[in-house]
Amino acid sequence: MPNASDAASTPAAEQPSGAAPTPAAQPSHAALPSGAAPTPAAAQPSEAAPAPGAASSFRTPSNWLPLGAAALLIVAILVFPSLAPNPYILSTGVIVLNWAVLATAWNFVGGFTGYISLGHGALAGLGGYATGLLVAKADMPSFVALVVAALLVAALAIPIGFAALRVRGASFVIVSIALVLILLLVFQSWSSVTGGSRGLVVPRPFPGMLRPEHHRVFFFLYGGLLLLALLTWWLLDRSRFGMGLKAIREDEDKAESLGTPTFAYKLTVFVISAAFTALAGGLYALWFGDLDPVFQFSVLTGSYIVLMALLGGVRNLFGPLLGALVVGIALEYFKVEFGNSPLHLVTTGLLLGLVVMFMPDGVIPSLTALVQRLRNREASSIREVTAADLAEQRRREQEGVNS
Amino acid sequence: MTLRTEGLRKAFGGVVALDGADVEFLPGKVNALIGPNGSGKTTFFNCVTGMIKPDEGRIFFGERDLTGRAPHVVARAGVGRTFQLCRVFPRMTAVENVLAAVRPGGLLRGLRSAHRRSEIERAHNWLTRLGIEHLAEAEARNLSWGQQKLLELAGVLMGEPQTILLDEPAGGVNPALLDRIGTLVRELNSEGRTFVIVEHNMDLVMSISDHIVVFDRGRPIAAGPPERIRTDERVLGAYLGV
Repeated sequence: MPNASDAASTPAAEQPSGAAPTPAAQPSHAALPSGAAPTPAAAQPSEAAPAPGAASSFRTPSNWLPLGAAALLIVAILVFPSLAPNPYILSTGVIVLNWAVLATAWNFVGGFTGYISLGHGALAGLGGYATGLLVAKADMPSFVALVVAALLVAALAIPIGFAALRVRGASFVIVSIALVLILLLVFQSWSSVTGGSRGLVVPRPFPGMLRPEHHRVFFFLYGGLLLLALLTWWLLDRSRFGMGLKAIREDEDKAESLGTPTFAYKLTVFVISAAFTALAGGLYALWFGDLDPVFQFSVLTGSYIVLMALLGGVRNLFGPLLGALVVGIALEYFKVEFGNSPLHLVTTGLLLGLVVMFMPDGVIPSLTALVQRLRNREASSIREVTAADLAEQRRREQEGVNS
Repeated sequence: MTLRTEGLRKAFGGVVALDGADVEFLPGKVNALIGPNGSGKTTFFNCVTGMIKPDEGRIFFGERDLTGRAPHVVARAGVGRTFQLCRVFPRMTAVENVLAAVRPGGLLRGLRSAHRRSEIERAHNWLTRLGIEHLAEAEARNLSWGQQKLLELAGVLMGEPQTILLDEPAGGVNPALLDRIGTLVRELNSEGRTFVIVEHNMDLVMSISDHIVVFDRGRPIAAGPPERIRTDERVLGAYLGV
């Protein structure tokens, strides 16, 4: 049986050469601007006569773009393992997909409601430890343990969310950081169960499998999980529930005054987000085979997730995925180039600063806006109604009544 | 249904914003709530709509006790509101702003598409009615102040409230739009909706209201039709300053 701890330990240490991200690791579809919020309303014929200064449609429907991007993503996931030149690149692919699932799962809360959680690393850590403990201590089959662990974390997310979602803005960010720090202490100190600082060795799901095959299987598992997370996000985005969540992001009090039960909505989406995050964490435990509280409950994990989502664009289905591709690959590259020095932190910090300053909405919305600007060159106006317009409108109405 | 309060009291530290307000609005009419700045009008709105909890007193909508209920419960009971500093969802389009007021109703219904044809049509109808249909696909943050006010009202109307509370609908809008808002309120009222309007523009208040409640120091000092309020000694002293 291959030793779990050496299976895919820091990949950078395994094979420093050829570590630069290859084009194959960056599917080209990710750069496509996917349709922002679908606006089928644009297709509706207006019943009213065009008002003076009528503007042309500000957005065009682009429902086919997400579908095209999803098809490309599926193809990329299917062919990448065959194209990866060596197991290290394949293991990097697994790590990047892990980030992509985490960032997409985070985006259920961050993208829809606008609540910035730095604590999602802890939810992934909980998923990892719960899966690992169920396999190692309760002898549960690996993938049953994965699902049970995700359900347990989702259940635990109810009281966590109940407490944390009562506060907004910076206070919520701080509460989410506190969650990570508290769990770090618990998992470090409770060594009789968690293994403490010695870590927890998680038995492998496929004991006889060779390392490249092991990476390949987990690449596909992560790919499937990513597609499931994206599909769920897309469904919510189109739903009334999603509309309510987005209203919370825009103005929570206003959404509440329009009849949206904001707290219940936030809590529900937090639980969904926690479940996906825990699944990613659990898969990581089964893949990597060794958990250490310092890495599982690190504020850095949450920070990277936020950076990825912000970079790609939080209001967009594929934004976090794009961010995960860029930042995930960059992180691996920096680790290879700079080793264990803190330089990779400096570079990612700089990247975060640049994104917030120059592309606060992320890459995809910036590109989408650019395309829209190039397409819609017709002048538009938001001029308000004047007394003359009003008189004309009344005259027309009067004529309508008389005829 | 009648919206009424009994002994509503709210203090912020030492400042008593509402001091035992007993108010009853006439159902099916345009009611106005007037008074000097700081007399407790907006606090009254916020208490009635559940945005803040009153220290004492009760709020009834028909027979239903809405005291201390969450704002979404009040909205679902049939009381809609606009805000003094008009609030729209800035990064949503105008039509999405209106669609956001559709009640999901249950978990499974909540998973239905937010862009159902019938609801989009209804949203467009409201935008048309309020004269901002041509801006349906514009992001709300790009609209002018007056248009945002109309959009906010369209969103409230989409929720089909029986009673609508408007907090300073005339604030910062041009005279033509003011005229339009006045006409709209009368039209919407003639279709059976009750209005309660907080407003400083006396011309508007006197021209569209059936019933006026005058607030001073957190409680009503007079109530009645415009012609009576116009000549009421206490109102003249406390508010109109003549």
